[in-house]
Amino acid sequence: QHTLEGNRDHTAVIHICLSIYLDRYFQTLYSSLTVVVLVHLSSDVDVIDCSVPQYNNRLDTPLPDVPFVRNLSAEQKKLKEKEKGSWTQLTKEEKLALYRLTHELSYAEMRQGSKEWMTVLGGIFIFLGFTGLLVWWQRVYVYGDVPHTLSEESVAQQTQRMIDMRVNPVHGFSHKWDYEKKQWK
Amino acid sequence: MAHPTQLGFQDAASPVMEELLHFHDHALMIVLLISTLVLYIITAMVSTKLTNKYILDSQEIEIVWTILPAVILVLIALPSLRILYLMDEINDPHLTIKAMGHQWYWSYEYTDYENLGFDSYMVPTQDLAPGQFRLLETDHRMVVPMESPVRVLVSAEDVLHSWAVPSLGVKMDAVPGRLNQAAFIASRPGVFYGQCSEICGANHSFMPIVVEAVPLEHFENWSSLMLEDA
Repeated sequence: QHTLEGNRDHTAVIHICLSIYLDRYFQTLYSSLTVVVLVHLSSDVDVIDCSVPQYNNRLDTPLPDVPFVRNLSAEQKKLKEKEKGSWTQLTKEEKLALYRLTHELSYAEMRQGSKEWMTVLGGIFIFLGFTGLLVWWQRVYVYGDVPHTLSEESVAQQTQRMIDMRVNPVHGFSHKWDYEKKQWK
Repeated sequence: MAHPTQLGFQDAASPVMEELLHFHDHALMIVLLISTLVLYIITAMVSTKLTNKYILDSQEIEIVWTILPAVILVLIALPSLRILYLMDEINDPHLTIKAMGHQWYWSYEYTDYENLGFDSYMVPTQDLAPGQFRLLETDHRMVVPMESPVRVLVSAEDVLHSWAVPSLGVKMDAVPGRLNQAAFIASRPGVFYGQCSEICGANHSFMPIVVEAVPLEHFENWSSLMLEDA
């Protein structure tokens, strides 16, 4: 809050300077700049931009820049006064309440995650299944017959010919055929 | 030829292809090592609960991961350049064959001694004999003597084609109006298949190359027979 007071004076000075030094050719720029400047003059409005310190829930920032609850009620203010004394006087509920004043989520709450992944995975499977149906329909109703060389008899003849031709005899195909016993190794 | 579901290269039928196989093993091993390391680092980064927001310089690791990749690249480059120059060596071919690409067949000319020339069309699927390979067989094969250096002059009569035989480690673009030279030695007898490797129109996938390496006497008999038929 101390910083914001300083900002308010600062922005008031800038406002005055702009009104003196900018001429009418930059009037559109001036007016939009004025809007931003005027907004900063009233600290009650919540402006979410990175020039203003913000609260965040992050595992690696245990103490965010600003407390979560900025405008304290009377009861909360009393609690804050009590906090200035010895902490052994605070009850467990008061300590938790103080925590929730400065923080929105606890570490456990930040880490827990959601059940969204089940929805996503389910959606993926549904689409995959639907695609599978489309592909199957296509195979049955659109594609023609496969060439005759893919019949079992033809494949057997081709395999026999590959063995006879000694195709890839070093490490590959014919290497795996035992020529003496006439069977695969 | 390749067998169904084959993943790796075909067995080498020429010394250059053997070198290429070994180089591929070497480069692939390096690639797999680096990929495993990166994958491990990624999983370690993603699954850790530790954070550090205030890290700044790290001169030592920056030096390491600049010098080390340079060293690895040199280790890949040296064998690669060795094979590149090996392929370009001055050789003394026993035979020169001209392979001319047409739409959509190859023609071979053996003009060292006599004028032997023939076309090599793919055997259509419905005309295949039992045991023949679909889309790979041709009516006439390019017969070469085995264990002899052979020079192939590759060119084209119409559009770009490419003469490729993977087992021999040969691929050479057939450019109209240009002669490209490729050389190989068939280290073992056999039949080696390849396919046109430059898009050339509707039947680009249907103009295969078949090289048959045979002992010299068989080659001489074959060429005499072909000359008689012509």
